[in-house]
Amino acid sequence: MTAPFDFAAGWLQEHALLPLLYALGMMQWEDIAFGWALFAVYGAAQVAVTTALCVPLERWRPVERWPDARAVTVDILYTFISRVGVLPLVTFVLFYQAQVMLNGFLADHGWVPPTLERLFPGLLGRPVLTFCLYVVILDFSDYWRHRLSHRFGWWYSLHALHHAQRQMTFWSDDRNHLLDEVLSFAWFMAVALAIGIPPMQFPLLVLLLRLLESLSHANARLSFGWLGERLLVSPRFHRAHHGTTAAGRRSVNYGAILPWWDILFRTAGFSRDFVSTGDLSAEEVLATGGYAAQQWAGLRRMLRRRGASLGDA
Amino acid sequence: MPRPWLFLPLCAALLAAPPPACAAGAVLVMNSNEATLSVIDLAGRRELRRIPVLREPHHWALTPDGRDLLVADTGANELLLLDPSSFALRRRVPVADPYQLGFSPDGKLLVVNGLARAQVDVYEAGSYRLLKRFPLRSMPSHLAYTPDSDTVFVSLQGTGRLAAIDLRRMELRWTTEVGTTPAGVLWLNGRVLVANMGSDDVAVVNPADGGVERRIHTGKGAHQLFLSPDGRLLYVNNRLDANSVTVLDAATLAPVRSYRLPGGPDDIAFAPDGRLWFTLRFVNKVAVLDPASGQYDIIDVGRSPHGIFLNPLAVVPASVASR
Repeated sequence: MTAPFDFAAGWLQEHALLPLLYALGMMQWEDIAFGWALFAVYGAAQVAVTTALCVPLERWRPVERWPDARAVTVDILYTFISRVGVLPLVTFVLFYQAQVMLNGFLADHGWVPPTLERLFPGLLGRPVLTFCLYVVILDFSDYWRHRLSHRFGWWYSLHALHHAQRQMTFWSDDRNHLLDEVLSFAWFMAVALAIGIPPMQFPLLVLLLRLLESLSHANARLSFGWLGERLLVSPRFHRAHHGTTAAGRRSVNYGAILPWWDILFRTAGFSRDFVSTGDLSAEEVLATGGYAAQQWAGLRRMLRRRGASLGDA
Repeated sequence: MPRPWLFLPLCAALLAAPPPACAAGAVLVMNSNEATLSVIDLAGRRELRRIPVLREPHHWALTPDGRDLLVADTGANELLLLDPSSFALRRRVPVADPYQLGFSPDGKLLVVNGLARAQVDVYEAGSYRLLKRFPLRSMPSHLAYTPDSDTVFVSLQGTGRLAAIDLRRMELRWTTEVGTTPAGVLWLNGRVLVANMGSDDVAVVNPADGGVERRIHTGKGAHQLFLSPDGRLLYVNNRLDANSVTVLDAATLAPVRSYRLPGGPDDIAFAPDGRLWFTLRFVNKVAVLDPASGQYDIIDVGRSPHGIFLNPLAVVPASVASR
């Protein structure tokens, strides 16, 4: 099933990236380039599948209708940058390199960073089960990252960019401040050092998970029913997290894929309402500005907040 | 009246039956971007199964006594010691960032290149005890020994240099510029050959001082070098060139012929029937080339196949449980 995607990535590598690297005298990056090609192709597939599913859903049962939906355009840009473009390349290079250096350093000092398969040898030879366990653990870890990003004022100043969107659609999943993305990766890396990361041999599963994350932001009157909403994060469940009254420190429904953590730690809200979204405390530019303006405003807001915190101290 | 449900027990019995006939000769392919090893039936040319590993297998080395096959799982920081006949896992040895590796001809040392960590590690063969680390900038890629095991030569992909490490004194003898993005390294007739992936040539290097004596033009993106089992021909895989495999006369280094083999040919294994097995990195396949006709067959494997090990004596059950 993955053959067409792999073929596209191979073609991109062989006929576009390698000639480019060769011309630039940068052939030492050919392996990294191939990694990016795979990322980009699967990212493009994610965008295509998500669009094909979510656009009809949003037209069929929209929560809100907007006469002017220009504010959504910037979210489309965020999505392409995040899933296909520069961001995967940078994070791939940085993350891979940092992980290699840290793991190697630890291995030299007699501590081989564990993987789930090493901790539980019964998992060896059961890659799908291993992958699913990684998803559960990483989702749990991400619940706490997300919750802390609301708890600390300076962090929320960055994260507010994600919440400022009043016209939330499936494109909004990737509208994040770059520093917020960096913090997420640092968080992910810390977990990866403790339990390893799943081998990337299940791109279709990753695609499915990303689809679910996008779907949870969709402007669609959709819930998964009483039981379904307690198993997987639905658009209605996640919409409550983006509600105007839930922005900032006291929010609900932090889970990205599994609502289990919200239930367990009593932050779940299973209201049947489809609330209005946005952060009323955020500057207008964070809601309707362009990409660069939003990034700058987010940074300024964080620095102001840091300055105020230091002043208070 | 047909009663298909009666066949269910038969189906179940077939599913539960022991693995089918064993392969006479097998090939192991390291799928670097998929964390698996493909096992291929040498005679039938079909993939029998995939063995899951931890993260990112690239290259291999056979122990001097032929007892263990070492597979370097780079991202997992470990060497897998496999039975070279059945590919069953025997042991795991923690090693930092193992990419390319090779035993010295006298069988005493194992050199492991850490490409991402910019280090070359020298281990005692057998005990896998680290004897010495050489931090070398940057991206140590491939390696070759002198026949007397005195020196190992390592290509430094990131800085365009070749390093010579004195293994008796355990010290760096020299590094020298050899071209753009040097990759494959081979000792041949008293000289070191280095394939320059950032250009279209193989540099002929004097092992005494690292001076480049001449350059043999092969194809854009010259990447890997393999000597035929009879020592007469040298195969050079070129990453970008349309005719992507150049064959040189090993004695004179004059081009003999070339083969068109798209898909990013990387490592080669030589089969007893004279055919060459290539991993094709970018199309997730292995090509089996008949050097006489230039025709090749294709076998599907996992993502980004890199190292390839061929054992004509391997007896591999079609579905050995992996550990």
